[in-house]
Amino acid sequence: MSKPKVAFFDFTCCEGCQIEFTNYGDAAFLELINHVDVVEFREAMSEKTTEPIDIAFVEGSFSREADRARLESIRERAAIVIAYGQCSAGGGINALKNHQTDYRQYVYGEDAEQPHLDSQKAQPISAAIKVDYSAYGCPVNKYEVLQIVFHLLHGKEPVIPNYPVCVECKRRETVCRFDEGDHCMGMVARAGCTAPCPAYGVPCEACRGFVDHPNVPALEKVLVERAGFSQKRAAEKALMFTAIDLEATS
Amino acid sequence: MTASFIRSDDFAAFVTAIIEAGPVYGPVAKRSRFAFARLETPEELRLDYDVSILPPKKLFFPPAQDLLQFDEAGFRAPLEPTEKVLLGVHFYDVKAIDQTDLLFSERNYDINYMAHRETTTIVAANIQTVSSRAFFASVGADVQPKGHDAFLTAIAGGYVLETLTERGGALLKFGAFQPATDAQLKEAAAVNAAVLEQCPEKLEHGTEAIAAKVRAAFKNEAMWTAMAADCFSCGTCNTVCPTCYCFDVHDTWNVDQTSGQRTRYWDGCLTEDFAKCSLGEGACENFREERATRFRHRMMRKATYLNEKLGGPACVGCGRCSAGCTADIADPVRIINQIMAS
Repeated sequence: MSKPKVAFFDFTCCEGCQIEFTNYGDAAFLELINHVDVVEFREAMSEKTTEPIDIAFVEGSFSREADRARLESIRERAAIVIAYGQCSAGGGINALKNHQTDYRQYVYGEDAEQPHLDSQKAQPISAAIKVDYSAYGCPVNKYEVLQIVFHLLHGKEPVIPNYPVCVECKRRETVCRFDEGDHCMGMVARAGCTAPCPAYGVPCEACRGFVDHPNVPALEKVLVERAGFSQKRAAEKALMFTAIDLEATS
Repeated sequence: MTASFIRSDDFAAFVTAIIEAGPVYGPVAKRSRFAFARLETPEELRLDYDVSILPPKKLFFPPAQDLLQFDEAGFRAPLEPTEKVLLGVHFYDVKAIDQTDLLFSERNYDINYMAHRETTTIVAANIQTVSSRAFFASVGADVQPKGHDAFLTAIAGGYVLETLTERGGALLKFGAFQPATDAQLKEAAAVNAAVLEQCPEKLEHGTEAIAAKVRAAFKNEAMWTAMAADCFSCGTCNTVCPTCYCFDVHDTWNVDQTSGQRTRYWDGCLTEDFAKCSLGEGACENFREERATRFRHRMMRKATYLNEKLGGPACVGCGRCSAGCTADIADPVRIINQIMAS
C-alpha cells in the first residue's frame, strides 16, 4: 500500500487536538510520517489540498449551517472520516451553550450582535456528515489516535472502548473518588484515556463523552445520594462535554 | 509443617531480610485504602489492612499483560517470571487464588498465569481489620483455604508462622524464629476463629440451597430488571473480584508498523460489549444486550455455574464488589438474601 494521504481540518474548536498530533516527540513523529503522507495540516505546514484524501481528521463541532458545505466537501474527498476530538465526536465543551440563551451577551458584550457570531447549537460533525470513526477526548489521547491510524494502515478495525472509565481506574488500582468523599462521572464516561484524572485525585468529567448507553438516571441518583449534589447540579453535570440527547441514549 | 514464633521486635528484621533476598509484595497504604505493592521497607507493610482495592491475583494475572512481542523476524514471549514472596494475603484471597489456580491450569494450561504463580511463595496472614462489607465467614464456609505456603498470625508479643510447604519453610532462615508453644498456637487459632464472628454481613443459607434457588430465579426477569435498574455496566464488580478471570486480547503495532505486541486485559461481563460477537462479514451480535441479563449472569457465575468445578461458590466474601459499586447494587449478600426470601 502506498502511503495514505492524511489531512486535518477544523471547525468550532481550539485546535488543541491537532496540537496533540505534534506532541509525539521528534523521533515518533518523523517515523510516523514515513508511513503517512500529511497533505494538509495547518498547525505544521502551509500547503493545502483539493485532491482526494485517504484519512481526514476533522476537529471541531458543527455549529454553523454555513460549515455544512465544507464538511460535505471533505466527506466527498475522503475515504475515511475521523471525528477528531470531543468537539467533533460529541459536540464537546462548545455544547455547553446549547443549554444557555444569554451566552452571546455574556461573552461578547456590546459586540454580541455581530453577524459572524451567529451560530446554531453545537453538534458533533455526525449531524452533518457520515463519520467512520471517532477519536474522543478533550483533548484526544494521542496514543489512542496512533493506534487508530495503525489499525487503519493494517486494514483492521480500530478498537475504541465502549466501557466506562471505572474499568481503567480499577485496572490501575486508583482509589475511587467516591471513597474520598468526592464526586465522579467515571461510571458513565467513555474510557480510552487510561483514567489519569482520578489517579491524580481529580474527578472524571467525562471529557470523552459517554459510553453508548449511559445510565443517566442512576448517575444523577449517585451524584445526589453519595456526593451531596443538588438535583439541578446533578442533572447539569451530565452536560459538560456532550451534545448528545441524553433522553435518547439511556 | 512447622509452627514457629517470632517476637514483634524481630519482625521488621525478618521482613528486611526477605526484601533483601528478592521481591516481596504486601499490603501498603494507598490514600484512604490499601493495595498490594512491592515492599521497599518493612515499615510500608500494613498487616492491619482491611481489604486491598485489587486482589493479589494481579501478581499472576496482571490487568494488562503482554503475551507476545512480534517483529519481522518472528515473535517471542516476554514472560520472565521471578521468584517472589507475596506476604499478608487474607484467607478469603487464598481461597480465590486456589480457584484461579485451577481455572488457569485445567485443560488449557495458561503459562502466562502459572509461570508467575509457580514462582510465588504465598504467606497468608490473619485478618486484623474486617472491611465494611465483608461476609467471608458465611460464604462457602466449608471450603478450606489451600495453596498457600505459610500462614502468619499476629498474637500478643509477636507472630506465629505456620509453614505448610518447603517454600514456606525456607522463610524461617530469614528471621529469629523459635518453635511456637502450644499456648501460642492456641492463641493463633483463637484469633483466626474470632475474626469469623466479626463480619458485618452474612448469608443466611448454605451453598447448595443458594445455588439451587438462584438458578431457579433465572427466569424471574422482573426481579433482575429491578435489581439492575441502577447498574452502570461499569464492570467494577468484575474488575475488583478476586475470582473473576475473563480477559480480552488486543494487538497493537509500534510506530515502525512491523513490530508490536499482543496484550491481554481484564474484561468484565457487566460491561456492554463483553458478549458482543462477530457474525462475520462485519456483522456482530450481543447475546447479553440488556443490563439485567448481564447483572444476572454475574450472580449465576458466582453462586451456581462454577460450583461443581470449584467445589464451592465462585465468591469468597471479600466484599470488594459491594464496596466498589457506586450505586451500591452489587452486594451478593443483599442479592442472594433477597432471592432466598422470595
